[in-house]
Amino acid sequence: MVNSDSQKEVLLEVKDVTMNFTRYEVGVDSLKELVVRAFKRDLKREKFVCLKDISFTVHRGEAVAVIGRNGVGKSTLLKIVSGILKPTKGYARCYGRISPLLQLGAGFDGNATGMENIYLNAAILGYTKKEIDEKLQSILDFAELGEFIYSPVKTYSSGMLARLGFSIAINMESEIMLIDEILAVGDMAFQQKCYNKLEELRAKGLTFLIVSHSDVVEKLCDRAIWIERGHMIADGDAKTVFQEYTQTMMQPSETGKS
Amino acid sequence: MEKDTIYAKRPMQQLYLLRLLVRRNIKNQYYRSFIGILWTVLNPLLNMIVMAFVFINLFGSEGIALDYPIYVLSGNIIFGIMRASTTGSLPCLVEQQDMLQKTNVSIGLFPTANVFSALVTFGFSFIALLIVMLFRFFAGAYAFTWEIILTVILLPAILLFSLGLSYFLSALYVFFRDLKHIYSVVLTLWTYLTPLFYTIDALKNDYIGKFMRLNPMYHYVNYFRDLLIGTVPTLETHIICYGFGIAMFVIGYVFLSTVRNQIAARL
Repeated sequence: MVNSDSQKEVLLEVKDVTMNFTRYEVGVDSLKELVVRAFKRDLKREKFVCLKDISFTVHRGEAVAVIGRNGVGKSTLLKIVSGILKPTKGYARCYGRISPLLQLGAGFDGNATGMENIYLNAAILGYTKKEIDEKLQSILDFAELGEFIYSPVKTYSSGMLARLGFSIAINMESEIMLIDEILAVGDMAFQQKCYNKLEELRAKGLTFLIVSHSDVVEKLCDRAIWIERGHMIADGDAKTVFQEYTQTMMQPSETGKS
Repeated sequence: MEKDTIYAKRPMQQLYLLRLLVRRNIKNQYYRSFIGILWTVLNPLLNMIVMAFVFINLFGSEGIALDYPIYVLSGNIIFGIMRASTTGSLPCLVEQQDMLQKTNVSIGLFPTANVFSALVTFGFSFIALLIVMLFRFFAGAYAFTWEIILTVILLPAILLFSLGLSYFLSALYVFFRDLKHIYSVVLTLWTYLTPLFYTIDALKNDYIGKFMRLNPMYHYVNYFRDLLIGTVPTLETHIICYGFGIAMFVIGYVFLSTVRNQIAARL
């Protein structure tokens, strides 16, 4: 199952990625506070290693799940891969068009109609008007919003927003999809539809990098990467890694040693 | 603002996104109002009437070569480009934090969109100015000059200046959230330190007059009024106007580029 063969084209290359965050111990976010604390010599900085020497490559057509407990840096990894954050050390290179689905409907404008938001959102994701025009019908069909598409999105329910966001992201053509635990939205029927769509795209040969724990993802992916405290501790066949992960999580005393 | 990914951002696509953002800004600005876009013309017009009414008695119009209502309005709409750009840009990165954290959109687009929205608003205000000029023309208080078309030479300088300042402020606001209060005070001071309602001669203070020369907005406002009177500004004025504009733009651009990586982590 694991695509270890080197003939396959490398689409994503993550090499020695290390991410440090520098934080003031107490959040300093105003000038007043900075000045006052500088005078009191109360500016303790704290270096916080989020990711340490993460390296992996993803080949065309692979579906990789990233698992690990909350707060171990999975989302940060996805942000680095998508180019939102720059790693302190190392690099992440993409050799293809990337579509980050980190939050559905990021940047929706409440006052604009659904239709206007399709254009705005897709343009933010990096598409031209022509490309959006071509995909418009499939976006509308998938979102199933009917006449609501001409109403301002502030009148939408959260489920409808998620539908629209997902529909835009999934229908725009890209080679790599980055998905960050966004699938737990909408009603059951829509969730099922999303998974079906993902499988369909998967069959088409799209590459996935998904942060999630759900069983469905386990079935969708053929490879899993397990991150614990910023380190990569397993990379291999999805079933095996998920099993190990579940076992470790069941025995909390063991996790400290890993 | 290129990214590390090999997928180089296409300039045409970025231009399209910029256009959408500007349109959104303009729409949202007047979204709730009944007469909508007409406000962009009415607003400066009504403001001017109030100012002219208040200040004509306070300062008197002697020593001003330009008709007083036109003097006030012209100063205000030029100053307004910078004011609208910066007050719109200051919180724009923080307001869009959702988008900046979740998509790899170029960060500079948001302040840029605010500056261009301010330019569009200026366009409407300019119509208001023309209306006032027409009225004053028929009242015999003003004569049109061809030099007014030279405004297109002045605008790039103000835009560069506004862009630079907007880049700088929007980035700084991510780190210091109390900047909003500080800047609103600074802006008030700046408004009064620019001869919008009065003339420098009326100050009767040489020291302030010299100090005023360090204020870029003074030069922009003066340039515009010169055109309305019918004088073509000197080469020196051009150098000053563009000098301030380019310098501010470079400062803002460099600052935004250096802190760009910290911004996504900081939001």
